[in-house]
Amino acid sequence: MKVVLYAVRAARGQKALISIDWETDRKYWNDRASEIVRLREEIPLGEGERMCRMLEEEWASETRSPAGKGLKEESGDRERAWRGAEEKQFVHGGWAERLVYHARSAGYAGEMERIKLREGAAAEPRLLEAAGRAAARLAGRSLLREEAQQLLDAELPGSSGVSAFAALQLAALLGAVQLTAAVAPDAVAAPASAGLRGWAERALRRARLLRGRGAGGRAQVLRCRRCGSADKLRRTDCAACGRQACAYCEACLTMGRSRECELLVIGLPTAGAALSVPVPAEAPLLPTRRQTATAPFPTSIPTASPAPVIRTASVPSHSKNIRQHLIKRWGLSPAQSDAAAQALAFLEAPRASKGRSFLLWAVTGAGKTEMIFPLLDSVLSRGGRALVATPRRDVVLELAPRLAKAFPDRNIAVLYGGSPDRWREGELTLATTHQLLRFQGAFDLVLIDELDAFPYHNDPMLHYAAAKCGKPDGRTVYLSATPPAALQREASRGRLAYARVPVRYHRYPLPVPARLKLPSVYQVLAKQTIPQRLLQPIRRSVDRGAQVFLFVPYVKQVEPMVRLLRNQAKNLGLPGNAIAGTSSPDEERGEKVVAFRDRTIQLLVTTTILERGVTIPRSDVFILDAHNSLFDAASLVQMAGRAGRSGDDPFGVVYYGAPEWTRSQRNSIRQIRTMNAAARRKGYLKAD
Amino acid sequence: MRLNVGSWFASTKRECPICGRDASQGASAAAAVPIPIRHPAPKRALASLCGLCRQAIPWIVHPVCRVCGRAESCEDCIRRTQRSYAISRCAVRYTDAMKDWLALYKYRGNEGVETILAAMLAFALERLQAATSQASFPIITAVPLAPERLRERGFNQAERLACRLSEWYGMAYRPLLHRLRHTEKQSLKTRRSRVVDMRGNFAAVSAALFSGNIILLDDVYTTGSTLDECARVLRQASEPHAESRIYGLLWARS
Repeated sequence: MKVVLYAVRAARGQKALISIDWETDRKYWNDRASEIVRLREEIPLGEGERMCRMLEEEWASETRSPAGKGLKEESGDRERAWRGAEEKQFVHGGWAERLVYHARSAGYAGEMERIKLREGAAAEPRLLEAAGRAAARLAGRSLLREEAQQLLDAELPGSSGVSAFAALQLAALLGAVQLTAAVAPDAVAAPASAGLRGWAERALRRARLLRGRGAGGRAQVLRCRRCGSADKLRRTDCAACGRQACAYCEACLTMGRSRECELLVIGLPTAGAALSVPVPAEAPLLPTRRQTATAPFPTSIPTASPAPVIRTASVPSHSKNIRQHLIKRWGLSPAQSDAAAQALAFLEAPRASKGRSFLLWAVTGAGKTEMIFPLLDSVLSRGGRALVATPRRDVVLELAPRLAKAFPDRNIAVLYGGSPDRWREGELTLATTHQLLRFQGAFDLVLIDELDAFPYHNDPMLHYAAAKCGKPDGRTVYLSATPPAALQREASRGRLAYARVPVRYHRYPLPVPARLKLPSVYQVLAKQTIPQRLLQPIRRSVDRGAQVFLFVPYVKQVEPMVRLLRNQAKNLGLPGNAIAGTSSPDEERGEKVVAFRDRTIQLLVTTTILERGVTIPRSDVFILDAHNSLFDAASLVQMAGRAGRSGDDPFGVVYYGAPEWTRSQRNSIRQIRTMNAAARRKGYLKAD
Repeated sequence: MRLNVGSWFASTKRECPICGRDASQGASAAAAVPIPIRHPAPKRALASLCGLCRQAIPWIVHPVCRVCGRAESCEDCIRRTQRSYAISRCAVRYTDAMKDWLALYKYRGNEGVETILAAMLAFALERLQAATSQASFPIITAVPLAPERLRERGFNQAERLACRLSEWYGMAYRPLLHRLRHTEKQSLKTRRSRVVDMRGNFAAVSAALFSGNIILLDDVYTTGSTLDECARVLRQASEPHAESRIYGLLWARS
């Protein structure tokens, strides 16, 4: 989109601004500024922002040094001398001509228009009210223009005659929302103000500024402000702003297109409350918007706005009491409540000594979900906002009713692609990971489930999103059965606070995988015979009435394996149709999992797609080709964690079938043994 | 930061521009699917697809309808008595997979897909050349977009694709048409209202007096009403005695 670039001058200085709704700005500045000038033509949003920044920098350096002083040193070649002279003329000719100068050097016509100040332009209470409501609704969100418009169209009744843009622009002027380009250069750090270093830095910046202008802009790294990626931008012709190299971000394209001329609306947290009271006439003349916009993000979330008053919780202070309270109120096991108590202490500590993150390392089947309830309760009861983010949509849908039951009087927003709650304001938000991109600085507690699972795994965008959606002073809790190596290291070095839950809720140890020396799946399929060494243990599992997970590394091996097993169905003591296979491209996966749950399917051949989430009470696990590099230690632990989930059958068996014995296999077994040992040491295991 | 020497030697991963999966995996399977295009540039573009995506392209290799290039017999072309364009050719059938591909480009705005779609159009262009036994066409133009829609989307897909083709096949791209009215999306309308609504939607660019054969490009052919109306306007604007024919070139035929 295109915006109006304008500058205002008042008693305390001058300011360059962009506007998406010019009339609003004109009215706003009418009785606040002594002079207003604007560029007659509208310019692309990104360009406008860039020019604003350059103007601000120049004006700032001018106030530091007397006019024209710095120019002498730089009059090297002819072009620069000419430019210096031109600049000098502007310095003396007037503050506003700079606007024209920058517009012309960027290739625009650069016609300036002086705006006449009118007498007694009435302030519009309706617009102010709309801006207040817009700011309240947008608080903590980070939305593209279209999304913000949708949200505001629902919020602002059509009859009031206030457009969404006008409301947004006024809210921005009052410092309650930030309007920026969705893809923008990395902000340059503000120069050091004093001393030799400050002088040198200023000189360098100035030199770069001058050189940069000739080449048509400084060489800066562009970055998507919504998802933080800088390496997946593509520049194309843009009909919306008319630029030939308008960059858009391909990393977060599924959430709408973020581009250089696209508006990103960032609602500052809790700004709505400040706006709901009528703004007095001596409202801050020069709002903080530009400052916040130029600060490096993701720390650009302004810290100035007051955090909501968090009441001290009425949780019993003594740690033993907390434990008792947790066991009683939430039905947690001793191991669960110990870990939850540690997490609670971390959340309620006034100043985090070990950073703002906490790792809750709970084995598979430990009952992670139950443990998050007391954490959420603690934050919600103190009036904070909490978020639970989980990688998969089906987990969101499964968790939503449980949360609703646990917190019946709380407002819960459930977000996923195409969810009806899209714009709902919740004290508690449950979302898939991608939805986090639409928030910024919104939550006091961010709970991230399975951060080593597929979408987070190796995706810096989602890590960025998870980092920015929390408030600056908010806390983040990671939940995982298999934390990534980096986090494990941080935890063991004491840089990350953490708690371990080494035992399952039923208080039996984790099944330790047994080794089964087998030929590779490739060979098995080539020979079309299943080795007896594999058939017999499967038969034993079937005979004891357990259901069997059979994991293979590749999708293409699933169907041939199923066929091969069906040929052997009689030897396994199973009807042929009780053997099935599923994988990621399978459209009937949902139905097959349901059939597996209600025991219509007894043996399911699958890939890592089912390594998490599916819980079968009485089940055994066979991992074929456990040496394959697709199965790392974490996914082996997860797959092994499918066995023995229920208290009725806690000793399910797990086999690693492979021709070789690899480091990931050894690693995974060591992890499982360590957890079992820790559980025994702490006396969590059921005495038997 | 751990030093991973292995990564210095690992072959670079190629991502399939459509599905984002690793395209170098299963390269042998992909090689088994031939690319039915002669020109090397679009051929190369399509070779960057992964095997699965390459298999998913429903090429119209043998058009049954000699007029519109549909893969099955076509009632519309039999029924229609007056036609402003000579013939048209389409690259693929408009299957669900192709709908997704087009949506990826048109609505989601993934302009990385552009090259692939243009390369697919090269197939239709080569079919058109064969059907008309002409080696080249001097001018290519595209169905325009209404200004509002253009601003909203950021690009005109037909124009972009036409520009790509013009570079490959040495044709001149000329914007010859304006869109006057902003109609609702074609895909939301019935057949009858499509034909009626289309009247008066387009106008020729004022200075456009032209002759010779023109290729008119659009993304999807459903009833042919857009194509026919554009061709009619172009014929009216062309020099009265010049022998000018207008050929349709479409990415998909529904």
